[in-house]
Amino acid sequence: MEGTGRSSSWALFVGPYGVYLLVFLVLPFANVALLSVYHHSPTKIAVAGFTAANYTRLFELYYATLFLRTVRLSLIVTAVCAILGYPLAYLLARSTSRIVTLGLFLLIVPLMVSTVIRVFGWVVILGSEGLVNQALRLLGAEEGVRLLYTEGAVILGLAQQSMPFMVLPLLAAIERISPSLEEAAQNLGASWSQMFARVIVPLSMPGLVSGSLLVFSVSMSAFITPALMGGRRVRMVGQQIYEEVLTAYDWPGAASLTIVLAVLMLGLVGLTLRTTRRRARLESARP
Amino acid sequence: MAAPRGRLEVRGLTKRFSPQVTVGPLSFEVQEGEFFSLLGPSGCGKTTTLRCIGGFESLTEGSIALDGRRLHDRPPHKRDVGLVFQNYALFPHLTVFDNIAFGLRLRKVDRADIERRVAQMLELVDLPQVAGRYPAQLSGGQQQRVAIARSLVLEPSLLLFDEPLSNLDFKLRIQMRYELRDLQRRLGTTAVYVTHDQTEALALSDRIAVLSQGRIEQIGPPGEIYERPASAFVADFIGSSNLVAARVGRAGEDGHTAVETEEGLALAIPRIGDAAGTAVTLLLRPERFQMATGHDGEASAVNRFAARVRDVTYLGEDLHLRVLARDRQPLLVAIKNSKGTRAIAPGTTIDLSIDPEDIHVLRR
Repeated sequence: MEGTGRSSSWALFVGPYGVYLLVFLVLPFANVALLSVYHHSPTKIAVAGFTAANYTRLFELYYATLFLRTVRLSLIVTAVCAILGYPLAYLLARSTSRIVTLGLFLLIVPLMVSTVIRVFGWVVILGSEGLVNQALRLLGAEEGVRLLYTEGAVILGLAQQSMPFMVLPLLAAIERISPSLEEAAQNLGASWSQMFARVIVPLSMPGLVSGSLLVFSVSMSAFITPALMGGRRVRMVGQQIYEEVLTAYDWPGAASLTIVLAVLMLGLVGLTLRTTRRRARLESARP
Repeated sequence: MAAPRGRLEVRGLTKRFSPQVTVGPLSFEVQEGEFFSLLGPSGCGKTTTLRCIGGFESLTEGSIALDGRRLHDRPPHKRDVGLVFQNYALFPHLTVFDNIAFGLRLRKVDRADIERRVAQMLELVDLPQVAGRYPAQLSGGQQQRVAIARSLVLEPSLLLFDEPLSNLDFKLRIQMRYELRDLQRRLGTTAVYVTHDQTEALALSDRIAVLSQGRIEQIGPPGEIYERPASAFVADFIGSSNLVAARVGRAGEDGHTAVETEEGLALAIPRIGDAAGTAVTLLLRPERFQMATGHDGEASAVNRFAARVRDVTYLGEDLHLRVLARDRQPLLVAIKNSKGTRAIAPGTTIDLSIDPEDIHVLRR
């Protein structure tokens, strides 16, 4: 009796979103998976059948480089966000509520602006005729510096876009650390930086992990920012998928890229969660 | 153990949070090996004072010295002062062993030495079997002992306690009180102990400083604070008490001075020099009243009066009576629960007496 009551209310809470996910995520994704083994056709979306060719071509140097670059840039973006976000999150976590509200607002404001608009803002600043190069020319530089369409520009754009996803979970994690732990560490002889490394970082690890996973996922699947700030030189998987569908009209090819990207991300996320869960379970264990 | 050290001198300590909220100036000295308590209600400045000594609050004015060395301009991690927190503040991500070893590792003590000293500390606080556990796996009392061990392992010359027992339940609190006292005596470490619990301060301390609104009301050993409070605040804060307004009468020939409360109860007190008519406050401790049983009349003829019982609070060991002495003067009286007290009920009249020596006079 009790069991059925609980499971039926459980279904009530999870059901609507479960159906939504099934219809709009699982089914389309299954469709993409199916497409990825169909034959390419220049006139139709795909020809039913089975081929591994869409996947084997991914071992070509071009695609291997593409994936490596995507993973590498996403890791760098994650690291940049962690390094810049940690002090910010700590400061906000230890501030009065009024400053926290203001800080959170400023942090989230960029998300309210469309990605396209935000990226064009960067183009205005970094372009060959942009603000930075104009300033350099005023200072007497002979020729402009290439800022746009570099890996640096892509990292800059992605890090800015992902920063809230790093700071918010970190902030939540640090807020839960009692300030008396910081004082205890200092009382035992830890300088401020030793305290930060030995108390704040390990205790906010769950926040760092969720923040990193979010930033990494957002960066891996980013499309507009690398397309506009990286151009042809710094291409990432997202843009490649876009072009294979709309320019090359190769749906099965795009589908195989999508599947590999998804598997790569799920694998990394799963691995991270598994290692951190085991530690968390040990520390919160009760007799 | 090393020779006792840890002489603390606090001179004119002042912490101004705002013009309205100021602690101090406070001055006191704590001797080597002494157990010194800062006692007062919340907001009296006791925790602020402790945090100033620990380095977590900066002084607005004044100085703090430990063994003659200036302490107040050093950062908290360079003070050689142990601090035990109210909420224990154990690191939840570290085992008990790593918690205690935390300070030793920062001091680059070598591994074998760390293991030896941590084991020794766990032995000292009677928890040799929990080294591998995490704080969340320990009871409150065990966590507090680990916190104490974590501070003691560094052999600080001064140990600060910030209401360390207030999160424990009653029985454990009493037990930990004894353990804490034994430990401190055995090691000879100077201790400054902050509490709002007067019985805790009385039970533990060599000397107590009673604080009120950022000022020290009185410093003295527990007996003195209790028996001869310097102000009505101290008298009222320490123990339950009857504070009664009275006027000085004439001096008697038997070495006593007569006083009369505003409610008309005449009492004899040890001779004082004040002129007749001076307004004073009398402190009458509830447990100092005696119940007279009729036939020992002449033995305690002084300060004997009839009192009507208004209500009786049954506390097991004691009975607390609220009475009206001579039908006018309200008093709180504590008497031992015994065979003779069973008949006491609201409305009955009893004979009470109090030794003149047990009446303490506070001047207004």
